[in-house]
Amino acid sequence: MTTTTTTHTEPGGELQRILNVTRLHLTNKFPMMVLPLLILGFIFLVNYLIWWLIRGVTDPQGAADATQGMQFSGASSFIFIYMLVVAVQSVNLTFPFALGYSVTRRDFYLGTSVMFVLLSGYYAVIMTVMAGLERATNGWGLGGGMFDVIYFRTDNLALQFVLFLLTFLFFFFVGAATAAVYVRWRANGMYVFFAILTLLVIGLVALATYTESWPQVGAWFATNGALGVALWSLTVTALCALTGFLLIRKATPKN
Amino acid sequence: MTAVVEVTGLTKTFGSLNAVDNVSFTVEQNKIYGLLGRNGAGKTTLMQLLTAQDFPTRGSIRVFGENPVETAKVLQNVCFIKESQKYPDDFQVKHVLKSAPWFFRNWDAEYAERLVHDFRLPANRRIKKLSRGQLSSVGVIVGLASRAPLTFFDEPYLGLDAVARQIFYDRLLEDYAEHPRTVILSTHLIDEVSNLLEHVLVIDEGRILLDEDAENVRGSATTVVGARTAVDTFVGRREVLHREGIGGLASVTIGALTPEERREAAAAGLELSPVSLQQLIVRKTNTSNQEFEQSA
Repeated sequence: MTTTTTTHTEPGGELQRILNVTRLHLTNKFPMMVLPLLILGFIFLVNYLIWWLIRGVTDPQGAADATQGMQFSGASSFIFIYMLVVAVQSVNLTFPFALGYSVTRRDFYLGTSVMFVLLSGYYAVIMTVMAGLERATNGWGLGGGMFDVIYFRTDNLALQFVLFLLTFLFFFFVGAATAAVYVRWRANGMYVFFAILTLLVIGLVALATYTESWPQVGAWFATNGALGVALWSLTVTALCALTGFLLIRKATPKN
Repeated sequence: MTAVVEVTGLTKTFGSLNAVDNVSFTVEQNKIYGLLGRNGAGKTTLMQLLTAQDFPTRGSIRVFGENPVETAKVLQNVCFIKESQKYPDDFQVKHVLKSAPWFFRNWDAEYAERLVHDFRLPANRRIKKLSRGQLSSVGVIVGLASRAPLTFFDEPYLGLDAVARQIFYDRLLEDYAEHPRTVILSTHLIDEVSNLLEHVLVIDEGRILLDEDAENVRGSATTVVGARTAVDTFVGRREVLHREGIGGLASVTIGALTPEERREAAAAGLELSPVSLQQLIVRKTNTSNQEFEQSA
């Protein structure tokens, strides 16, 4: 046989190749795992000051009203949107980089998905712990609510964790699928995608309005509860994950 | 010799444009290839096809005997350094050095460190903040230190100064001598790399114009200089690659000459001079342009 002077390296194990992509995403941990917490901490600080101000200027009756009113502040919703952006960046920027490192599209997508699951777990744990602390301290001693919000709350902390986990997964894979549309078809893909999405939403609203089924829609959310809705979201999450995979398999790293 | 890359009837179209037009060639193991051509000739597209970053419209590509598309076994032995490489947001030079060994098995971290020092690259700077030349040196370092059996450099030194380019040529030759591998280098600084190249592929408008050993190419043309009438008599019916003249003087580039023909030229009072690889390629690609314009 021909003598080869260059050593052809044996192909690495498939799992190892996939996990290397996961590691690649987490090479720079700060923007992925630290920065969001710093922002969350700052939002918490601002909220805390506001609760403290309200407490300071109202009588007990007013304070009780305020507690009622503070059950939904949306202050922690930023972190879910941030993860959507993380997902978009991971696919849009790391995809051409990983291909430059001679990674297959398949390994890239699977490794990226592992990263999404790991980060979902990481942030779900943090959010659950904070929600637990918020309950234990009766709203940080001021009746405030930031991690534990109305509708979204379940008494069982384990279930609360599952709820957070499913929500994070939803945002990660929606972000991944959207970015995959961009990577595959660039700006034109985005125009068509958002046009279809808009029509779809308007269509559904029209459908619910004409059939006068808004009460049923409300009832569906009420009966399923947050956990039920979160479980239903898994179908959307799975659909997005699959769509992202199929699109990335045909995508090219263009400029 | 072992063929590392085998391409047959390869075509890639973007709309009505044939970026790569029915191309066939092979690349042999452990040689340095120059992929030369003008801007937009199809060099980058060809490299993207060979590295499975893009999909062919027609034709077949075999890299290490297999179709490279989504084949980890093949791609693990390939490194593609391109001028327009994107990096993740907030990535610093050190992050590139940290992650590269996970993907390139022959990665030599010590060598990479030395190269960072040679190119005076700040390890803690964000990729986004690097100058054009520094960005190019990141690619060059990855391409060299990865020691992939098949390495592509697509215009690797945009913005690099002359000193840094010389470092690149020197390191490439040194490392190639110690760790033989197949290198495909695309560039338009042809004269700078002409001593490096062992084989030349010239591409123009998506077609391969020349696929030849570099030595043969260098000896394949001669310029004849002298009095116009003497030059014309000597050139006779030979194929003329290029012609220029001032007043009664003419300078004509023709094909290779035998020793006998050289003596004949000397006797006629003509001067013969070698043609550089760059001049030769400029003339070859210009000719095809003229033909193209005439036929259009």
